[in-house]
Order: sequence, then structure tokens, then C-alpha cells
Amino acid sequence: MRPRKKGTWALLGALVLAGSLGLAACGGDDSGDSDTDGGGDTAAAKGGIYRVGTTDFGFNGGFDPSGEYLGWAWGLYSNLLTRQLTGYRHTEGAAGSEVLPDLAEAIPEATDGGTTWTFKIKKGVKFAPPVNREVTSKDIAYAFERIGTGSVVAQYGFYYNDIVGMAEFKDGKAKTIAGITTPDDSTIVFKTTKPVGDFPFRLAMPATGPFPKEVAGCFTKAGEYGRYLIASGPYMIKGSDALDITSCKTMKPISGFNPTKQLSLVRNPNYDAATDSTERREALPDGFEFIINTNDKDIFDKIEAGEYEDSVDAVPPDVARRYSGDDALKDRLKGNQDDRTNYIYMNLAEAPFDDVNVRKAVNWIMDKDALRKAWGGPFYGEIATHIAPATLYPGSTALDGYDPYATENSAGDLAKAQEAMKASAYDTDKDGVCDADACKDVLFMNRSIDPYVKMTPIIRDALGKIGITVKVRELPTGPAYESSGVIANRIQAGSNAGWGKDYPDASTFMVLFDGRNILPTGNSGYALVGLTAAQAKEFKIDYPKGGVPSVDADIDKCSEEVGNARSDCWAALDKKLMEEVVPWVPYLHVNNTTLLGPAVTKWDYDQFSGEAAYAHVAVDPSKQK
Amino acid sequence: MGRYIIRRLLWTVLVVVLVTLLTFVIFFVMPKGDPALRFAGKSPTPELIQEVKESLGLDKSVPEQYGLFLERLVTGDEYGWPGLGKSFQTKQAVKPELVQRAQVTITLIIGGALLWLAIGIPVGVISALRRGSALDRISMGTALFFVSAPVFWLGLLSLYVFWKKLGWLPGTGYVSFGSDPGAWFSHMILPWMVLALLFAAIYARVVRGNMIDVMTEDYIRTARAKGLSERRIVLKHELRTGITPVITLLAIDLGVLVGGTIVTETVFNLQGLGNWLLVAAQNNDLPVTLAVTVLVAIAVSLFSLIADILYAILDPRVRYQ
Amino acid sequence: MRFRRDRWAMASLVFIGLLVILAFAAPLIATISGHGPNELFRDMTDDFGLPKGPNGSFWFGADGSGRDVLVRIAYGARVSLIVGVVATGVAVLIGVTLGLIAGYRGGVIDTLISRTADIVLSLPLLLFAIGIVTACGSSREGCFGGTVQPGLTLVIIVIALFSWPYVAKIVRGAVLSLREREFVEASRSVGAGDLTIMFREILPNLVSVIIVYASLLVPQNILFEAYLSFLGLGVPDSTPSWGRMISDASDIFDVAWWLMLFPGIFLLLTVLAFNLLGDGLRDALDPKADR
Repeated sequence: MRPRKKGTWALLGALVLAGSLGLAACGGDDSGDSDTDGGGDTAAAKGGIYRVGTTDFGFNGGFDPSGEYLGWAWGLYSNLLTRQLTGYRHTEGAAGSEVLPDLAEAIPEATDGGTTWTFKIKKGVKFAPPVNREVTSKDIAYAFERIGTGSVVAQYGFYYNDIVGMAEFKDGKAKTIAGITTPDDSTIVFKTTKPVGDFPFRLAMPATGPFPKEVAGCFTKAGEYGRYLIASGPYMIKGSDALDITSCKTMKPISGFNPTKQLSLVRNPNYDAATDSTERREALPDGFEFIINTNDKDIFDKIEAGEYEDSVDAVPPDVARRYSGDDALKDRLKGNQDDRTNYIYMNLAEAPFDDVNVRKAVNWIMDKDALRKAWGGPFYGEIATHIAPATLYPGSTALDGYDPYATENSAGDLAKAQEAMKASAYDTDKDGVCDADACKDVLFMNRSIDPYVKMTPIIRDALGKIGITVKVRELPTGPAYESSGVIANRIQAGSNAGWGKDYPDASTFMVLFDGRNILPTGNSGYALVGLTAAQAKEFKIDYPKGGVPSVDADIDKCSEEVGNARSDCWAALDKKLMEEVVPWVPYLHVNNTTLLGPAVTKWDYDQFSGEAAYAHVAVDPSKQK
Repeated sequence: MGRYIIRRLLWTVLVVVLVTLLTFVIFFVMPKGDPALRFAGKSPTPELIQEVKESLGLDKSVPEQYGLFLERLVTGDEYGWPGLGKSFQTKQAVKPELVQRAQVTITLIIGGALLWLAIGIPVGVISALRRGSALDRISMGTALFFVSAPVFWLGLLSLYVFWKKLGWLPGTGYVSFGSDPGAWFSHMILPWMVLALLFAAIYARVVRGNMIDVMTEDYIRTARAKGLSERRIVLKHELRTGITPVITLLAIDLGVLVGGTIVTETVFNLQGLGNWLLVAAQNNDLPVTLAVTVLVAIAVSLFSLIADILYAILDPRVRYQ
Repeated sequence: MRFRRDRWAMASLVFIGLLVILAFAAPLIATISGHGPNELFRDMTDDFGLPKGPNGSFWFGADGSGRDVLVRIAYGARVSLIVGVVATGVAVLIGVTLGLIAGYRGGVIDTLISRTADIVLSLPLLLFAIGIVTACGSSREGCFGGTVQPGLTLVIIVIALFSWPYVAKIVRGAVLSLREREFVEASRSVGAGDLTIMFREILPNLVSVIIVYASLLVPQNILFEAYLSFLGLGVPDSTPSWGRMISDASDIFDVAWWLMLFPGIFLLLTVLAFNLLGDGLRDALDPKADR
């Protein structure tokens, strides 16, 4: 019953904006070689099977790379299974956020004013058995046809809407995508409708990888291809070679992947390491096994005993406590920055949160330290004091030490909260405690799983001190999320929210405050920043008399900036949100936590997927059980 | 009798229809979010949501969806007969998983049933024969204890003692018999015991009560007066009449348990039907919810039919109505 | 009277009495200990957010939020007792009424009521509990036209909804045999109406059956509430419930045994007491049950 490391959504890849850092294709930095080695001085060697326990795969797109949007799945594709035109080092920190060529020979400069990208594909990269043929530019072009095919449900297909002809292809007005051409088998040319500086980063996403049409063409419904995935990387799904590809009808799901039990990977005999680099992929173990074990406690017992090497699920606090208190075991416990913010949102269109003073008071009163304790304490992340994690403002120092609601031990401050509340019309007698009806029975959404349920009493207690009583609804993750995204439900506040980066650029957080993105259902910006009176009318909700603040203009301005100025611009918007708009109480920048087994001799963290860098792990089979 | 059985089977069909209809009503009429949103990414466009709805079959009107569901159930779908569709969550066919899950639940129920019969009947019989003795009082007290103990609490407690403290048994979860018979057994002992103790307690009380009723009936007194040996009376008359109701009770319980082991499965992490239903219902996974619901409704109705038939066979006084 | 001589039943009655006092006196315990039921004590969780065990001031230790387990157990008695008694009361009310009508009128009405009861009994009960609770929790208005909000009322409704058929079936059976008795014929012949016969003549004869059955239904419904709370479908967290406390312990039962043990013992003893009481009542009121 532990939460997964990941939310419902993938944390999208770590994409550096081209404009800000430039495309340093291959830096001299060799931090791809792991420094976070789990087993002392043992030299990492080839061989062995790396086994990972998980309570549930949690795929939301059936493991078809065209639609799958789970961060962990992205890690599996790009570390082990498929090769995209571009890729990453699969390591921790800034080095892991740089984009490198993978299937492409090099990352080209864009021509035609930044709208044409011509990629050359490496020779000698072959699909795994039974396809056994060389990967060509047509296999990449076909990936984009899949993205444009509605029934495949490419969940992040919007990243490719700028390609010329994509819209026509989607509407069925064109049989091919006009902006993607393949003059020969090793060349592919992309044309975009406007300059897209970060295009190489978008080509690192798994949906753009090569798909052999002779297999993938049989599976154009959402999620089907996941069980027939043909690899182009160092590993393949066990039993791929037994797939009978004479026709669509003869294909039966590959035996190594049972979505409710296990995913087994073996070496792809057609993989030629000469076409790759050890900086990207070392591919040391002979295979991987990802095993569903619904018992969270058992997973960590098995890791301890050497029966598993690693887990996908977060380390339970009691295990973390035991390991961190033991010098011999400490090194096997890993906590890594996940570029993610967890927050409490307040609905700006609903009383009492239509008053900024109330929202400020909530920020002052909240005991963030206790909320972090509910998650397991400092090992599980840093207390958040602004909207996006500082790592998303590269080159800017504007947010260093920034905490507009600083309180002792981050435990909340009643006096300051009451001072803020006194300025509110909802505190009629100005005693610092809300006494209006609007503060009674505030509808507060939360999830019904640990650690979210452990936050409920803390939030209830804090809000009670300033006169806000809450009616908490605890729902399972899915329904809680879906209810919050339906504006007509008029959820006033909630703590069922967290958001991960799409690129190490704050724009991927600020979309949540863009009033133009507000949707009647499936809405993600729960605070409704930028809601207009017209929208309110359309969604059939009341529009607050004082209006709702908008930051649309700031977003447009920052979107045009580049380099450090861009980071500074976003940072200024972050401050404005925290001090003037106040839609959230951000409380935690969540860590990805991992426990390693005794047989792990090499391990690294993949900043791109926010999970273990499987391309750089190694095991010592003699220590396995 | 044939007509009676046919009528009862038709009743079963009606129950399945009504129960699934109710499930649909709860799923769609009650205000909830849209499950399609979960598979449409974090910035879904209305078009994408529509695509997801189509892929999940949620784009049609509710009556139409229900009609399609019934039609597929009867005529089958791309995954064979009966047509149960594929899970929203895993995008995999429901049927093979249903079979797998049912195996786990049936393993739990059958193992538990053998155990509770083996404990409950002898305890009940002996208590009845030694009525009022210390043995009787102790066993009935113990029985009452297990009737009153919450299953999930007993489960956690036994895990704490036998797994975490003593280390005698491995953790929770299900290991298939085929992959490792020893591990299968050691993983099932605690769930069997916890499930069995509750029912053993109920059965012991029932058997004891029945036996005592029978012992005071006239024909037993007559037999005793005729000088039949005590051993013969007990074995031939008392036991037979005393245990007969247990058989029908067992049939009913087995049916109800097909969908009634949710708590046991949750505590022991057994990936059976109950656990599946719980997760599916909480996450609006409609095809899975419906599939389990259908199976449970059929099981309950069929086993209650079996119970009635057995009752009639074993007790000639009963007539079919 | 036979009941008085039943020592176990008397002991149960005493225990239940004490429990009622505990439930009423819960605020007193909170005052004496100085720990409110929803008060959070930072010192009672460690750096990893794990609760600390029993000590001089927290006799039963703390839960994962640093709340006093003893105080919450005292408050939890309220939920168990209220749900046990009220849900049973509602179920008995519905069950007796429908059972009476079905048994007395017979025919189409009987078939309708009996079959409805059968269908309710073959519903996957938890599925519907989940459906109803989730649906009622999704929006501001609650459900059933805004009349029901998640919480105690909803739990009582769900439990009553699934336990009335048992009562109805028993009452119906009893009415069937009473219907043809002379005293019913007699009042019918003097022109008494159906309602009068049902409630004035037949019902009084059912009182002991109903009491016995209701007393056995109470412990079942207390457990039912605990199961719902264990699965996260019960009362909100601000209302302490034994089932929910055990559920909170289920992830950390190996490092916080007190969180599992104490609420469980109270739940067990309460259910046991009601069962013993029910047995005692049955022995005393049902002349056939000479056991």
C-alpha cells in the first residue's frame, strides 16, 4: 500500500532548452561512469541478471512506446530497449540532462531559419530477432505516423504538432506527413512550421524511436504493441525471437512480458556495441528481470537478502530508518532529486480562497516539516519554498535561499498567519481567525493511500487554527485526480497533487498557471489561475467579485526569453506566484529513493527518467541469492 | 426436479443481468471523474480524450454500452467466449487474468474449507457428546473467540508473530503451485488458517447444536431403548443427521466466499478475485469490475442451488416448491 | 430468570456498560491525559515520521501522525457502538416491516420482496460499498441529491442496506407459520384490518425472535464497520475508528505493534461481548434452544 515513486504521469525527460545551454553534443565530462558505486571496490563486470521488484508496473499506455507516459517505462526504453535519434548519458545531475546523438550520427544544426533538421542514421544498427534487419529512416518516419494515428493514443503527441503536415495527417487529409521525408535509408528530414529550438530533445522521447512496420503496423490500437515490442537497443524482451511474423494473425504476445507478473529482458544478439558508446550504455548484466511482487515489505526483505538488486517502489520509511542508522548498510540507500514539486492547491474561484489574504494565511500556517515527516522525513526530499525546483532555473540565482513564508523549522507561524488573515474580509472581527461561513466545511480533496492520508490530520489541524474547517474527501488516486480535474465539482482545495518537469525549464511548471489551458474536464491547473469571467460562465461556475489574477502575459514574455534571462524571467514569475497570486502551498521537492541489494557493484541514477540508470548497473552473481 | 433446476438457472441469469445493470448504474449515474482522463496524458486535448474514450468503449451512450456488454458476454469477443473485454488499466484481456485470479481465490477457499471442516466437525461432535464438560466449554469459548475476532486483525497479528518475530513462515503474496510447491504451501498456511478458524468456529457451533437437537429426538431415544449400541447410535444416526445441514451450509459458504475473501486477500496480499475487484472498483476499471461481478453473482446463485438440491437429497422431507 | 443465571451474558452486559461509559467519557479521558483525539504531538513521531510506542504519558503509544492511541480508542468506541446499534436498528426496522408484509400478504408482494432480498444478498457487497462511497465523495454535493455526505451516515446506510434481508427472511418465515393460527383468524373474523392484525396481533409474537436476532446482528455490524474502515471506505479520519486505526497500522505493523494490537483487542472484546449477550438472550428467550 505504499505509493509508487511515480505519480500517474511520467516525469517527462530531462530536456535542456536548446536556446539556453546550447547543444553541446558530447561534452568531455565522463560522469557517465558511475561514482555512486554500491559495492565498494569490486570492479564492475559483465554478466549476471539484474532483478528488480515492483508492486505494480503501472503502465498507462500498455508499454507501447508510442503512447506510454510512465517515467520508469521511458527509462527502460532509452536505457535498454530502443534507440532514438537522440539520447542521454543516463547519469545523475546536469550531465544526465544533456542531449547526445544516439541512433543519429550527430545532432545537426537546423537550417532554413531553424525549421529544417536533417539527420543521418548510423549504419549497422539492427532490429532484434525475428526482424533482424537494419534500422532505416523509414522506421523513424513510421513512428511519427503512429503518433499521428488517433487510435494509437500518443499521450504526448502534442510535442510534434509543429511538424509540417502533422495536422493534415491526423485529420486524414493526407496519407503521409509532408514535413517528414526520407531521401534514402539513412537520411531523414524534418520540417517544422516555426523554429523549434529544442527539437533534438523531443526526438529523445521513446515515441519517436524506430518501429518496424511489419510488426508494429499490426497493432494500431492503444497499448497493443507493448506485448510485441521489437528492440533496437542492447536488450530485447525474452522470447522475441520466437515471434512468428509471417502475418499479423500468426503473432502471439512475446512470452517474456506478462503485464501482471514479469518482464524479462535478455541480450539482443543483433546489438553492436560499436554503434553505441559506453558513455550512454555499458550494458553489463546479461539480462534484466522486473518482477511484480505485490508485497512491498517482501520486496525490501528480498533486496536485503540479495534476492533482488533494486526496486521501483519508494523505500518504506521503516527500512530507510534502519539502513541510515547502520554504517555498513548506509551506502546501499540512495535518495536522488526527482525534479518534482508536491503542493496543496487552493481554488481561486471559490470562497474563501478567492481572497489572497486567506491564501497567504494558509501558507504561513502550514507545518511543512510535519508534512514532510508524513512522507518519511528529510530522506524523502527537500521542503519546497517556491513553485518549481531550483534545478529548473539553470544559471539563475534569483531563488537561492528564497522562502517568502519562512517560519521556524518550517513548522508554520500562527502569529504571521493571523496577521494575514486579519486583512481578509472573511475575518469580520479581525481577530486573525476566519469567522465567515465560507471558511466552514471547505471541500478538501486528498488521496486515500499512504502517505497522503497521513497528511490529512496535519492539514486539518493547521487550517483549524485560522478558522478554516475542512470536509476532507479521501479517494483512490485515479478518482481523486479525475474529480479535481472537473471544474464543475468545485473542489475548493486539495493535497492530491504533484507535478514533475518536462524539461529542466520552468515553463513546464508554468503551464499550470496559464488561464488559456483551463479545461472543463481533465483540467490540470486546479487553482484556476487566469480564469476569465467568460470561462466561468462557460463552465457554469460563479466568478468571484474580485476577479481571478492572471499571469498569462508573464508566461508569454518569459517564453520568448533565452539563456539566463529566461531563467531569471521564470524565477521572477515564480516569486510573483508565491507572493502575489499564491495559488499553492508547495511543500516538498520529492526524492526518488532506492535500496540496493548486496550484489550490486555499480549503480547510477538517470536524471532523464528519474529512476535507476539501468544502462550503467552491474551485479556480482556470486553475491546473488 | 428438472423443471425446478431450469427455473433456478433462469433466475441466476436474471440476477446476473440485474447485478451488472446496477454496477453500470453506479459507475455512470453517480458523479465521478472520467476514467478516460487517466490515459490521456497530463495536458489532454478534447480530441485525445475522445480517442481514449473510443479505445475504452466509453464513447457510446450508457444503454448502448450495457447492451454491447451483454451481447459480448453471450456471443463472445475478440478474446473468445465469454466476451469480457480488456482492462482499462493494463490494456490486457480480462479473461486469462480472471482465470488466474480465480485459481488463487479457489486455492484459498478449498484449502480453508478442508481445514475448517477438519477442525469444526470433530470439535462440534465431541462438544455435543461431552456436553457441559470442561472440554465443551473450552472449545465453545474458543469458537466464540474466533467468531468475534476481526479477520484482518488476526491476519496482521499472525503475520507479526509467525513472519516478523519468529521467522517461521515467509512473507505474504501468492506463489503458484507449479513454480514452487513448497513456497506455495508455506505462503498459504496463514491465510488458510485465518480463514478456517472463523468458519471452523461457526461450524463447530452449528454441528454441536444440531447434534444436541438430534440426540433429544424420539427415534434416537427409541433406538437407545431398543438396546442398540451407543457407538452405533452415535455413528449411524446422530452423526448423519447432525452433519447433514453442514453440507448445505458448506455449499452456500463456498459460493459466497468466491467474492467474499477481499479482506483475507488484502491482508495476505493474495492476488485473487477479491483483491482484484477492490483495486478495479477503486480505479473505475469497468471491464474488470463487471467480469468479477458476473462471476461472483453466478457462483452465489449456483452454489445456493446446489445447496438446495443437496438438502432435498439428504433430507427427504423437503419438497421442491 | 434464566438470563440472570448466565454468568457470561451478565459479564458481557457489564463490559458493554463499561464500554458505553468509555464512549461517553472519552472527552474526560482526553482532558485527564491532556491529549485531544486529533491533537498532533510532534515528539511522538521520529525523523522518519514513524510513531513512538507506549510511554508514561502515552499508555498505548502514538499513531503515525503523533496522536494518542488510547484517547482515540476511547473515541472509537463511539463509532463502533453507534454504527452497531443504529445500523442494526435501521436494518431491523426495514427487515421487520418488509418481512411482515411479505409473510402476511403473500402472493406477488411476497415474491417481489423475497426476490429483492435474494438479489441484495447476491450483490458483491464491497463493490457496491466502494461504488457508493467513491461516488458520494467525488463532488461537493455528496450523493442521492445532496442528502448524503460521506461519513458516519453513509456507513450506516451501506450497512443497513446489506443487512435487512437477513431480518426480513427470518420474520417472513415466522409470520408464515403464525398467519394461520387461531388468534389471527379470530381477529380477522371480528373485522380487524390487515394493518391491525400485522402490527397488533402478529408482531408481538415476534418480539423475542427479533430481539435475539438483532442482538446477534449488532456484533456483525460492528465488524462490518471495521472492515469498511480497514479498506478505507469508512468514516473520515477526524472521527477515530478502530477499523481505521488497524488499517493505519497495516503498513507498519512490524515496527508499531501497539497501533495494531490495542484497537484490535478492543474490537475483539466488544464483538465478543455482544455475541455472548446475544447467545444469552437466545437461550433465555427462545424456549427451543435448550443448549
